[in-house]
Amino acid sequence: MKEQWRLLKTGFNTAFSNMAIDRAILVANSKGKVPPTLRFYGWVPRAISIGYFQSLTDEVDILTCERLGVDCVRRITGGGAVFHDKEVTYSIIIPENHPAIPKNILKSYGRICNALIQGLTHLGISSTYAPINDLLVNGKKISGNAQTRKERTVLQHGTILMDVDVDTMFSLLKVPNEKIKDKLIKDVKQRVTSIQHVLGKKIGFEEVEDALKIGFEDEFDIELIKGSLTKEEETLARQFEKACFSTTQWNQRR
Amino acid sequence: MQAHSVYKIPQGKLLKISLEYDEKNNVIMTIRIAGDFFAYPEEAIEAMEKKIRGTVLEQKHLLEKIQAIISEDHIQFIGVDAEGLTQGILMCKP
Repeated sequence: MKEQWRLLKTGFNTAFSNMAIDRAILVANSKGKVPPTLRFYGWVPRAISIGYFQSLTDEVDILTCERLGVDCVRRITGGGAVFHDKEVTYSIIIPENHPAIPKNILKSYGRICNALIQGLTHLGISSTYAPINDLLVNGKKISGNAQTRKERTVLQHGTILMDVDVDTMFSLLKVPNEKIKDKLIKDVKQRVTSIQHVLGKKIGFEEVEDALKIGFEDEFDIELIKGSLTKEEETLARQFEKACFSTTQWNQRR
Repeated sequence: MQAHSVYKIPQGKLLKISLEYDEKNNVIMTIRIAGDFFAYPEEAIEAMEKKIRGTVLEQKHLLEKIQAIISEDHIQFIGVDAEGLTQGILMCKP
């Protein structure tokens, strides 16, 4: 019999709740209270997440975010700023010593990204892993990923772009050099793609979830069983949201 | 004196250093190491920022100090390394 992992479809939540849920699952998994878990989710309202090491005020135009109703949150993972709009976000939480997870961090990015690649093939999309943390289709980025390891547990989360609005994204993000902003926007439009752009049609959120689920099952030779957050995870998530992810102290700590 | 640098690590990520240093003695007073890189464990970067204080702003000193911290605290970097950090910090000097 195949190993069974938990599948969570938590739907659309705020940025603060989303980051708190990922963290709560990590804690529960590290205590052996829940199996390895694959979670799919979306962001309402739209939000920007920044990497653990980034400075919020350096990266994000906070006033424009407020005006457009876009939330901002600091992740517990490194990496860059992401505008979460039309996308499917996944997270995988699994013990660091699980045989499915390479000890080498970069290799483990590759392994998890392979699951995404397999998932995308079920939508008819051929993609490749571009180290450190991107997936490309025809040389253009369709997915960004970030991993942390805490309490002997791996948490990797990432996005699969369903559609992309580069102009709005750059109204929210600051660029190092305003003078070349127009050129930068043009470059990024050339370098980023989405499911809708590749296929020339819209694909539903659930259809993407289903394809990615199969990708993870195939890559890791496991069976994903639909479940829900435990009471303990829900309580923990509420605590993390209140004490950490929704606070200025956390989000503006750098 | 306050200083900043933005440095794209070759084959790596974008490093953004903010520095306050004592011009007379050429010594780092405070530093913030920001950017879109990865470091494991993440919290080690804050410890590194504290440990770098007091280091002379000079290539050899700085590189040795950073290498020592990486080794002491068992830090794994992805998208940045000791050489890149050193370079980014030195770029803060006019």
